[in-house]
Amino acid sequence: MLLCDFHIHTKYSDGSVELRRTIDLYGQAGFDVIAITDHVVNGDSLIGKLAHRFRLSVTEENFNGYIDAVREEAERARKKYDMLVICGVEISKNYLTTDKSAHILVLDIKEFIPACWGYEKIFLEARRQKAITVACHPHYMSDNSRDTLYLWNNREKYDKHIDAWEIANRDDVFNVISLKKYNYIANGDFHRPRHLYSWKTLLNCDKRVESVKECIKHNKGVAITLFRN
Amino acid sequence: MALFWIFAGLTALGLAGCFLQIFAVRSYLGRPSRKGLSYVFPPVSILKPLKGLDDNLFDNLESFCNLDYPEYEIIFSLQDRNDHACKVARKIAGKYPDRARVIVEKCNEGLNPKVNNLIPAYRASKYGHVLISDSNVLVDRDYLKEITARMQESGAGLVTNLVKGVGGRSIGSIFENLHLNSFVMGSVCFLEKFMKMPCVVGKSMLMSKEDLEDIGGFRAVKDVLAEDYLIGKLMHDAGKKVVLSHYMVQNMNQYWGIKKFLNRHARWGKLRWRIGGVRYISELIGNPVFISLIPLLFSGASAYALVLASVASLAKTLGDWYLGKKTGSGINALCYALVPFKDLVIGILWFVPVLSKSVVWRGNRYLIGKDSFLQPYPERTIWAFRYRVISAIKTRFA
Repeated sequence: MLLCDFHIHTKYSDGSVELRRTIDLYGQAGFDVIAITDHVVNGDSLIGKLAHRFRLSVTEENFNGYIDAVREEAERARKKYDMLVICGVEISKNYLTTDKSAHILVLDIKEFIPACWGYEKIFLEARRQKAITVACHPHYMSDNSRDTLYLWNNREKYDKHIDAWEIANRDDVFNVISLKKYNYIANGDFHRPRHLYSWKTLLNCDKRVESVKECIKHNKGVAITLFRN
Repeated sequence: MALFWIFAGLTALGLAGCFLQIFAVRSYLGRPSRKGLSYVFPPVSILKPLKGLDDNLFDNLESFCNLDYPEYEIIFSLQDRNDHACKVARKIAGKYPDRARVIVEKCNEGLNPKVNNLIPAYRASKYGHVLISDSNVLVDRDYLKEITARMQESGAGLVTNLVKGVGGRSIGSIFENLHLNSFVMGSVCFLEKFMKMPCVVGKSMLMSKEDLEDIGGFRAVKDVLAEDYLIGKLMHDAGKKVVLSHYMVQNMNQYWGIKKFLNRHARWGKLRWRIGGVRYISELIGNPVFISLIPLLFSGASAYALVLASVASLAKTLGDWYLGKKTGSGINALCYALVPFKDLVIGILWFVPVLSKSVVWRGNRYLIGKDSFLQPYPERTIWAFRYRVISAIKTRFA
């Protein structure tokens, strides 16, 4: 089984560790597949404007540089650690109320997707780019300040667009995902080195981007594990 | 006032001790010139007991696969195939199939988990010399040549190495590295140079199988916490030389929490208290920062007490900075401002072994007796009840 984490932030947004060091942390710990998913924050709200102001978001201007840096590191990780690194972003639609907020992982992204677009448009654009989408921390969390409930509250509408839901994020487990029998993965939502030890996904597939995406989409050979030292 | 002068005297004594430690470390810096000398490099089996993920584990293990040495093998030994280190070890073994292999075998011969891990690896090793090396150690290409050359030129039965802490990126790791590079390194060199007492560091021990068998093999140390100390002592008692190499191995401590630092030094303190007895008191005197702060407790913030504490802290900080610079530890100069705080914590930790004799090591809990002999932690006594209560409180407030 491949040990995977598909939700990782670096200093390109609000992570505390540089990209190269983040890759090394996961490589040194023996991971097989990871996705770098820095925030792309909507600029049409107060929170979003602040994120842009303090450079806590990947923007249209630095997106290509971000993707190039991730690809360069991916090549290094493949050679040194035999670890697959996938380019991704976390589209972060942040508003003052948790009911309106939602975060979406876009894995294997190729072109910039603005977070201020409507949900439907974001999902369709991700699909056009042959990326997969994952609804992040979709339910109530132990740390209430990070709740993002929009997608869960509107699940009937958006379910068809979402390839998988996070059934576990860092230390939280969302049993509603299993009750609804949605496709699932578990991620660490890495921002600091201690977040390495958190919920992770195990995949039974080849170590190639397409195989990993297919495995998540079809949700066969997927298991979750609480990675602890 | 008399009390103040007593502590001032003890502080001066401690600072003198630190000065001697610096002097002792200096004499081990740099490698002796071996130009024109020829050595026979015997085949060596490197035994790597693994448990859990250490910082920088992949690079640490890989550094042993790239040694400039004619013939050697590496055996990664684990007790459990679900251990996260197993995945890393298998990746390394896959990358260097001619050099490294992984052994997963449950062994319950003793209470020391590291020795339990070493016994199957030792059994599987094929060469006449064994090098025991911890998983958190990083070395350069010439490491093995240096220590085997040292073994030959000194005719030693056991060669051990100095350890320097590197890579600190969290407060716990910085504390750890500051302490390893001052007190620990200084004490090892001081004991070797001035007291002629061999102090074996378990992070790197090279010996021949024949010599190890003569002292009873790993089974002789299977129930002690300080297996490295006891192996050195048994070698010494058997008339074999125990020497310290000039080569410094790097101990990677990058992302430690403060709790891990406290746990390790409480454990090491208990170990030294059980082995050293009253000599353990000298460690408190060897902590001039802590001693100089005691008058502040008794006489308040008087000018004398403040001057004493400031002078001791400054002198100790400068001494540690000098050692760090000389040994190339790579610690940021600003981090040395933490030396007085670290020494204060270490001073408080000094009292823990007097109050408690239980140790937690890599997830196992033991009672520690004389000469660091281990006993299983009792399941049904008041001790166990005490820990159940503490863990329940911890869980409640987590």
